[in-house]
Amino acid sequence: MSTHGHAAATQDSHTPDHASVATYVRVALILTAVTALEVGVIYIRFLTPIVVPLLLVMAAAKFVLVVMFFMHLRYDPRPLTGVFVGPLIIATLLALALIALVGTLLTLH
Amino acid sequence: MAVHPAALRQHAVDAAHAPAATGVWSWITTVDHKRIGILYGVTALAFFLIGGLEALIIRLQLARPNNTLVSADTFNALFTMHGTTMVFLAIMPFGSAFFNYMIPLMIGARDVAFPRLNALSYWIFLLGGLFINASFLVGAPPDGGWFGYTSLTLRQFSPGMNIDFWVLGLQILGVSSVMAGVNFITTILNMRAPGLTLMRMPVFIWMSLVVQFLVVLAFPPITIGLVFLMFDRFFGTHFYDVAAGGDVILWQHLFWIFGHPEVYILILPAFGIVSEVLPTFARKPLFGAPVVIYSGVLIGFFGFGVWAHHMFATGMGPVADAVFSVGTMLIAIPTGVKIFNWLATLWGGSIRPTVAFHYAAGLVALFTMGGLSGVMHSSPPVDLQQTDSYFVVAHFHYVLIGGSIMGLLCGAYYWWPKITGRLLDERLGKVQFWILVAAFNLTFFPQHYLGAIGMPRRIYTYGPGRGWEFWNLMSTVGAFGIGFSILLFLINAVRSLRHGAIAPADPWDGRTLEWRTSSPPPVHNFDAIPPVYGRDSFWREKHGDSRGRKPAPLPPRPEPHGIHLPSGSVWPLVMALGIIIAAAGALIALPVVIAGALITVVAGWSFALEHHRNPAHVDQVGNLGVDHRKLAMWVFLGSECLFFGTMIATYLAYKGRSLVGPHPHEILNIPLTTLSTFDLLMSSLLMVLALHAVQNGDRAKARLWLFGTAFFGLIFLGFQAWEFTEFVHEGLTLQQNLFGSTFFVLTGFHGGHVALGVALLTTLWILDLRGRLDVRDAVKVEVVGLYWHFVDVVWIVIFTVLYLIP
Repeated sequence: MSTHGHAAATQDSHTPDHASVATYVRVALILTAVTALEVGVIYIRFLTPIVVPLLLVMAAAKFVLVVMFFMHLRYDPRPLTGVFVGPLIIATLLALALIALVGTLLTLH
Repeated sequence: MAVHPAALRQHAVDAAHAPAATGVWSWITTVDHKRIGILYGVTALAFFLIGGLEALIIRLQLARPNNTLVSADTFNALFTMHGTTMVFLAIMPFGSAFFNYMIPLMIGARDVAFPRLNALSYWIFLLGGLFINASFLVGAPPDGGWFGYTSLTLRQFSPGMNIDFWVLGLQILGVSSVMAGVNFITTILNMRAPGLTLMRMPVFIWMSLVVQFLVVLAFPPITIGLVFLMFDRFFGTHFYDVAAGGDVILWQHLFWIFGHPEVYILILPAFGIVSEVLPTFARKPLFGAPVVIYSGVLIGFFGFGVWAHHMFATGMGPVADAVFSVGTMLIAIPTGVKIFNWLATLWGGSIRPTVAFHYAAGLVALFTMGGLSGVMHSSPPVDLQQTDSYFVVAHFHYVLIGGSIMGLLCGAYYWWPKITGRLLDERLGKVQFWILVAAFNLTFFPQHYLGAIGMPRRIYTYGPGRGWEFWNLMSTVGAFGIGFSILLFLINAVRSLRHGAIAPADPWDGRTLEWRTSSPPPVHNFDAIPPVYGRDSFWREKHGDSRGRKPAPLPPRPEPHGIHLPSGSVWPLVMALGIIIAAAGALIALPVVIAGALITVVAGWSFALEHHRNPAHVDQVGNLGVDHRKLAMWVFLGSECLFFGTMIATYLAYKGRSLVGPHPHEILNIPLTTLSTFDLLMSSLLMVLALHAVQNGDRAKARLWLFGTAFFGLIFLGFQAWEFTEFVHEGLTLQQNLFGSTFFVLTGFHGGHVALGVALLTTLWILDLRGRLDVRDAVKVEVVGLYWHFVDVVWIVIFTVLYLIP
C-alpha cells in the first residue's frame, strides 16, 4: 500500500525566517553575562534582601532569551507560542500552589 | 531509471485502492488509524469485561452481612484492580478507540500525524495493561486502592510486589497516553481538510482536543508522584517518609492534580459524542455550538484548579478549602451550560429515537444527577460527612457510568455502521438500554442512601442490624442487571457482524465528514480530500443552509503526489516489548532490566531511522504552517514543563526539611556548577549554529557544530558525574536525607534528558557523516534542537533554584 517512492524529493524544506548568526552570538554573550551576574549577586551582602527576586528575574530573562531566539519562538507562528506558554503558565501556577500547600516557604493556613 | 510523475501518481492511487492486507501480521504491523482504533476498542472491551467481573464479585461479597465469599485481602485487590482497570484500561482506551477511528475521518485526513507512534501508543497500552493484570498470575495483585495513597503503598506497609506492579504499570500506561495525546493534538491542529477552521470543527473533535491537552498536562504530575513512590520503594528515598521530613500528603496532591483532570479525560469524549448524536437525530444544528466548545475548553482549564476538593478531609486549612470550594462550584457552570445547550438542541427538533439517541438522552439525565451530587462535595462541611462513604461511590458511578459509559455506548451505536459496515439491531439495542438504565439506578441510587446512613466505602463486609442489608442486596441485583445488559450488547454486536443488515455510507443522514465516505471506509479514507462548506459541512452539502440553499461545489483539493499512505512497521511492537521486559525486570533481576532497555534502544533507533527518507505523509506542513514534527515537539515540551515544574516544586516544598545533614549550603559547589552551566549554555549556541549550517547546506559546518553540541553535552554530563561522586564521598546519597532524595532525582532526571539529547545529536551527526543529512532534514535538526534548548532552559531554572537561591 505504501507509495513512498517519491516522498523524499518533496519533503518539506521549510526554512522560516530565523535570526542571524550574529544575533545568536549576541544572545549567547548576554546569557553568559547574566549568568556571571547571577553568581556575583549572591556574594554582594547589601543585595541580600532582594537577592531571591533578583535571581528569579535574571533566570526568567535567560529562559525567555533562549526560548525566543534559540528556539525561534519569536519567529514562528503564534499558535506555537500558545502551545508552549499555556502549559508553562499552568505548570508555574501548579508549582506555586504545591509549594504553598505542601511546603514551608509560604503559608496559607 | 527515471519514472514519469503521472505513472507514479497512478501507482499511488492504485496502491491506495488495493484491498486491505489481511492476516495476523498485517494487524501486528498496522499503522492504519482505523485498525488501531479497532484494536483499542477490542482491547478496552476485554479489560472492561475483566473490570466488570471484578465488580460483580465485589457486589456478591457485599450482598449480605458477614459474607465470606472472598477474604479481606482479595477484596482489597478486587476494588483496587476494578478502579484501575475501568479508569486506565477500559474507559480511557474506549475513548482512544473513537479518537483513533474518527478524528482523521471527521477532519478529512488520511491518517494521524504520526501513524507509527500511534501504533507504539497502542502496543504500550496493551502490554502495560497485561503487565498490571499479570500480577494476578503471580498472586500479587495491587491492593492499595486505585489512588494508591501513601503511606499505605510504601514498602513498610505493602512489602510485596503488589504495589510494584501498579507503580510500574501506571508509568507505562502514562507513556502511552502522552504519546497518543501529542499525536492527536498535532493531527487536529495541523491536518484538517482545507476550509475546516477550528470553529468549524465538530464538537467531538473539539472535546478530543481538550482531552488530549488534559492528558499531556495531567499525566506528568502523577508520573512524578509515581517516580517518587518507586524511588521510595526501590531505592529507599524519603519523598513520603514522614520520619525523614517527607509528607504523605504530597502524594495526594500529585495524584489528584492528575486525578481530577482525569475525570474530564473520561467524560469529555462522551460529551463530544452526545454533541454529535443529538443534532443528527434532532435534525437540527447543535444549539450554541461555539458556547458548547468554549464550555469544554473552560472545563479543561478549570479542571486543573479544583483537585484539592478530593482532599478536604486532610485539613488543608480554611484558605485552601475556600479556594478549592469556589473553584469546584465554578466548574459546574460550563458543565451546566452544556446540559442546557443539549436540551435546547432537542427543543423543536424532528427527533428520531434511535438507540444512539436513547443513550445520548440517557447521558443528559443520568450525568446531571452525578454532576449535582458532585457539586454537593464542593462544600467542605458537606464533603466531610460524605467522604469515604458509599455516597461518593454512588456519585462517581453516576458520572462514569451515567456519563462516560452511556456516552461511549452512544458512540458505539452511532458509529458501529461506519466501522463495521453493518447495522446493529435497534430493537435489541433499546431493550439493552432500558435494562441498563433500570439496573444502573437500582445499583447506584441506593448507595447514596447507604453512604448517608454511614456505610464506609472499601469495607469487605459488615455486620447485620445497621439497616444496610436490603439496599446492598438491591445494589447487587442491579449490578447483575448491568452485566446482563452488557451481555445483550455483545450478543447484538456478534449478530450484527455475522448477519447484520448492510449499512449504507450515511445511514443516519449525518452532518459530519465521516459519513461522506463508504462504510467501512477504504484504507485511504477518502478518494479525494473532502471539501468543507462550514460547520456541519456534509449536512450543508446535502441539504443546504437553513433556507435550503446549497453551497457551490468546491473543486477537490489537488494532490500532486497521489494518495500517500504510510508503510506498516513491526518496530512499535518490539519497542513496547522492550519497555515491558525492562519493567518486568525491575521485579525480577537487573540483567532483565538491561536486556529490556537494550531492546527498547535498538527498536527505538530502528523506529527512528526506518522512515528517514519515507515520512508518514508527503506534505508534513499543515494548517498552522509548521511541520507536524515541530508542532509535536512543542506540545511535548509543554508536557515537560509540567514534568519538571512538579519536580522543582517538590524540591522547593521540601527545602529545609531535612532532619540530618549534609545540607545544601554545606555541599553545593557553585563555581564548578557555574562552569557546567556555561558549558550547557554554549552548547545551545552550537546547536543553533548547526541548524543554520544544515539549512544553508553547509555540511562541513553542520557536522562540526553537531559534534560540538554533543561534545559539550558530554562535558556537562561529566561535570554532573563528578559532582555526584563528590557528594557521595561527602555523605550525601539518595537515602541520606530529604535533600539528597530531591536533589539526586531532580538533577538525575535532567541529566537523563541531557543524555537522550546527546544520543539524538550523535545520531544526526552519524547520519551526516554517512551523507544522509542534507537541507531536506533541517526540520529534524530543528526538532532535536528544540529539545536540546529546552533541556538548557530547565537547567537555567535548576541552577537558580537549587544552587543560587540561599
